[in-house]
Amino acid sequence: MAATINMSDSERSSPNDQSVSSRSSNRSLRVAEKERRKNEAEDPFVLALKYFSDVEAGTPVYGNDDFERNLVLVEKVAYSRGLPPEAISIMLEFAMSLRMGSAPCVRVLKCLIPATVVPQEAVVRAVVWLGVGKIPISTQVLFIKWVLTIFDMIDTKDQLRAIYGFIFSYVTEENLVSLIHCFFAVRVFRVRKLLELQSKLGRQPFLLHLLSLYKVFCPELVTLSIPSRMRSGFRNHISPWKSALIAVQKRNGSQIASSMGLAFTTMDKTSSRKRKHCHLEFPALRPVVNKEAPTDQSSGRKMVPLVQLHSFAELLENMHRIELPAQMGSLLGSSLALQYLDCVQDESALLRLNFWLGYTLHEEFLFCGDGGATQNSEEALQFLNKLLSAHHFLQEGFSSSEAFLYKFLNVWDGSLLRPQILGLLSNIPVVPSSQIGRLLSEPLMQLFFTSSLFFKCGLMECLNSMLLKWLTWHSVYALEDDLDISLNSHTSINMTLSGFKDSVMELVRFVGRLASVGLQIEGCHSLFLSFVLDFYETVCDTFLKYGLPLVVMPPSGVFYPALLATDPISVDRLAYIMHRYKVNLTSAKAQEKQTKQAFHISRQTFHEFNHYVVVMVSCLWNSKMFQPGLDVQLGEELLLKSNVPQFWTSFDLIHHPAFMSYAVDFHQKCWPGKKDMDLSSIKHSKPWSWYLEYLFTQGYDGLKQFAQSNISRQLTAGDGQGDTQQR
Amino acid sequence: MERPQNSVVRTPPNSTAVQRRSKSKSYRQSYRSCLGAASRLGLTPGLTARRLNSSRRALKSHIITEKVNPDHLALLVKREWRLSYITPLHQFRHTQLKRYSRQLSAFIAAEKQQGVAVEVEGSQSGFRVSFSVVQGLAATDDDAETVLIQIFSRPVFAKQDEPQKSVWSGWLTCINGNPEYLQSLPKGFTSLPLFGGSGAEVLTSLVKSWFQQTFDCCFGPLEINHTSLQWLAALWTNCHTESNLQHLKMIWTLPVVPPLQITYTINPQDAWELWMSVRKDRLEKTEDEEEAGSIDIEEVMRFVQGLKSHFYRHFRLDLSAGNLNQVSTALGSAKFSGKIKISNSRYMITTLTLLTECALLKMPV
Repeated sequence: MAATINMSDSERSSPNDQSVSSRSSNRSLRVAEKERRKNEAEDPFVLALKYFSDVEAGTPVYGNDDFERNLVLVEKVAYSRGLPPEAISIMLEFAMSLRMGSAPCVRVLKCLIPATVVPQEAVVRAVVWLGVGKIPISTQVLFIKWVLTIFDMIDTKDQLRAIYGFIFSYVTEENLVSLIHCFFAVRVFRVRKLLELQSKLGRQPFLLHLLSLYKVFCPELVTLSIPSRMRSGFRNHISPWKSALIAVQKRNGSQIASSMGLAFTTMDKTSSRKRKHCHLEFPALRPVVNKEAPTDQSSGRKMVPLVQLHSFAELLENMHRIELPAQMGSLLGSSLALQYLDCVQDESALLRLNFWLGYTLHEEFLFCGDGGATQNSEEALQFLNKLLSAHHFLQEGFSSSEAFLYKFLNVWDGSLLRPQILGLLSNIPVVPSSQIGRLLSEPLMQLFFTSSLFFKCGLMECLNSMLLKWLTWHSVYALEDDLDISLNSHTSINMTLSGFKDSVMELVRFVGRLASVGLQIEGCHSLFLSFVLDFYETVCDTFLKYGLPLVVMPPSGVFYPALLATDPISVDRLAYIMHRYKVNLTSAKAQEKQTKQAFHISRQTFHEFNHYVVVMVSCLWNSKMFQPGLDVQLGEELLLKSNVPQFWTSFDLIHHPAFMSYAVDFHQKCWPGKKDMDLSSIKHSKPWSWYLEYLFTQGYDGLKQFAQSNISRQLTAGDGQGDTQQR
Repeated sequence: MERPQNSVVRTPPNSTAVQRRSKSKSYRQSYRSCLGAASRLGLTPGLTARRLNSSRRALKSHIITEKVNPDHLALLVKREWRLSYITPLHQFRHTQLKRYSRQLSAFIAAEKQQGVAVEVEGSQSGFRVSFSVVQGLAATDDDAETVLIQIFSRPVFAKQDEPQKSVWSGWLTCINGNPEYLQSLPKGFTSLPLFGGSGAEVLTSLVKSWFQQTFDCCFGPLEINHTSLQWLAALWTNCHTESNLQHLKMIWTLPVVPPLQITYTINPQDAWELWMSVRKDRLEKTEDEEEAGSIDIEEVMRFVQGLKSHFYRHFRLDLSAGNLNQVSTALGSAKFSGKIKISNSRYMITTLTLLTECALLKMPV
């Protein structure tokens, strides 16, 4: 068969090509330099081209040194930098016109590597030469392959489209069939012809591919299912140029235009393997078969199915006339489609998506009797990860996954796909405060108290990121001048500012309860404490960072474990949090005064805050632990019984278990000679201020900021005298 | 410190604010939440757990033979259907059934011979598909008309002139669907939530995947749960006087090792008397015919409880510990696995109403 001969032909000569190309690439620098030295007139490349355009018909090839020398030159340039458009025109014209017979034709075709674009003129002229009919079949095949390879580099394609019918006629030349995939107009009679050919030739991969392209572009004409072991039909024909082309383009610093991507990726998807309960597959992008004809025609726009777009640039270009695919679920499977989904306004399209997603999640995780998700956890994992990344991309969750979660939380064991489920959970939109209890708190509380420390930390992180998202939505969408904010996902539900505040408050209180009990259960584990403090770092800044007039203080079940923690980081972070609370409260108060329009942070909140600050200062700075009036009170007798000397100092910055080592270190540095260590001596005015400086230089910025905003030192006083600012 | 925008402070009504508003609105619009009373899908799955109706009309012998094409009815009865639920169909048109027939037959042909393209318009395929509307089955205006699908094929070794035989049939229906739910669907959606298929499993799955690809819907298996089976047992028993039950057969499975399956067959007259003793109170109390015609879940439970305690007296086995798996009478049979057979077209509507309800309960959104 001619086709196979041709293939082997090209293979035989390919090592040669490669050696040429590698040699030439080694030399490319020198060549380039040489060129720069010579001027245009005597540029050998220009002369070579001139030779090929002027050579007379019938000049012999064999033994023609001029020809050989010039062709090698052109090849060198082609493989190193690619040929400029005019050179392509000249060489193609030379080859296809058979001016020196068909012998050099193949060789010339092989070196037609465009540097930038290919002029349409040249291609059309070459096609015309095809019609003359003297060119051997194998060369014709080679030419069409070349056209396919550089198809995306042809500058304009209008005339080519016009002569598509002509090119299509080569489909009957059975060896050329494989190649005509260029996306021209699809016509019924062409499909018919292909189908006829199919019945004549059987299942040829190239025919299938061509037909499947028709399926993409004209789904109402042809139906086809691709067997799973389908090989690529076109790709291998392109190899003679592809590598050289990529090399040249790399050198020239431009991107390779991929023409084949689209059709093949969609096919790969359809051919994915099937299993018995395959809920967890994203459907393939397919165009709609039964179009809504009348409305589209009246608006005079031709719709472009999303399947036909394969780059972001194309997406942008066709933004106004994109036709949604047959199955909305397929949008989640492709990153480009996701870009478009972000702009989809069509309510019913999103409903379709939600139907599919909800169905999939329900079937896989709720309805399945045979433990679906646990059995194919790998697929479930991938599915949820894709869903999550779609959520992250859109910065919002789908309502169907939200509805699913409310049900699933009640049956979840807390360990199945934990990161994914928690990830989905953190994406749910604001829940009305009246519903938080039933939908979130109850199931989560059960899970929380019966699960490992690891789960507790994970849930805390999840709730923190949920709060962050709620607050971010608020700050983005509530910048309007009325109290009504369309915060909830559905337009018909306008959540009022106070409604939103209630929700946030409810969430924060819920987390406060969880954190208090969790810290108790886990013995104030510092890892868990760190996640709790993360959460309060978000909470303390709601007013300044997110413009939400709401300040909620942590419960004492969180405050004291942090204050009395054995690691200095936690104490430092608590100090930072208290500092931020103070900044938020003062600016809220200032604004209240300024605008005369109170949003009323309750007295209670100020009271709680002040109380905490007093506790912190008297505990860490003033060594007045266990004094009456503070939360932590122990009977005098009990304290005396404990035999702890000066028990009131035991939680100041010197004796606090978290800072003791710093005190010792400081003591050694301060009085290096001293044998007996008396930490209390740090408490004296001068060393105390040095000690604080020392602590601040150790990176305890939280403490530093806290001290700066809350403690006015009276230098004259003998011992560190703190004062809290009262409002 | 720079003070951020706060919603309390009135920002000047400039154009950017207006723009932002419209942008945010349209953006927010795109993702519907399942929360909130005003949600357009009135049945909010997250909050209001949809439940089976706790009271329903007794099976009335609808004389649907007058309304519905008898050929269609003949196809629907006396055949065991495997049930599925379907999410609403997008852009389904009852006027395009001819076209769907062609497309589905081409689809089946293409799937049957993987890798051979099939022209949609040509009719060379070995399968012929016919879509038809079963007029008159819909009970309310909200119900979409039932669609019947039949697939014909010529046996492999058949003679040329031998007629094609029906190899598969199926239907999509919605009888007395929850009007709130149906009305909440946007334009362009058709809810036919109940699907029954009978024939080769391969064809069923082909039909399903064609529907999925064409109307962007999803199929899930619909099992007839414990409660629904009890409802059917009671509803069928209620018809005994009009149409002889012949027997009331229930199959229970008990979770013991090895699993115990119990076939419990009740004399129809006994069942009827038990049912009447349960119904007596209501029938005596109310004069109103409407009221008398409806049946409550409590009555159903009492009826089944009566059957169970009778069984317990004889065999010392409490059926409450087990699961009801199958109910069958001369009027029809239903299995937990989602197979149903309706033998008498007169009671079809009520049975389908119950099943439609079950299917709608499965809707994810």
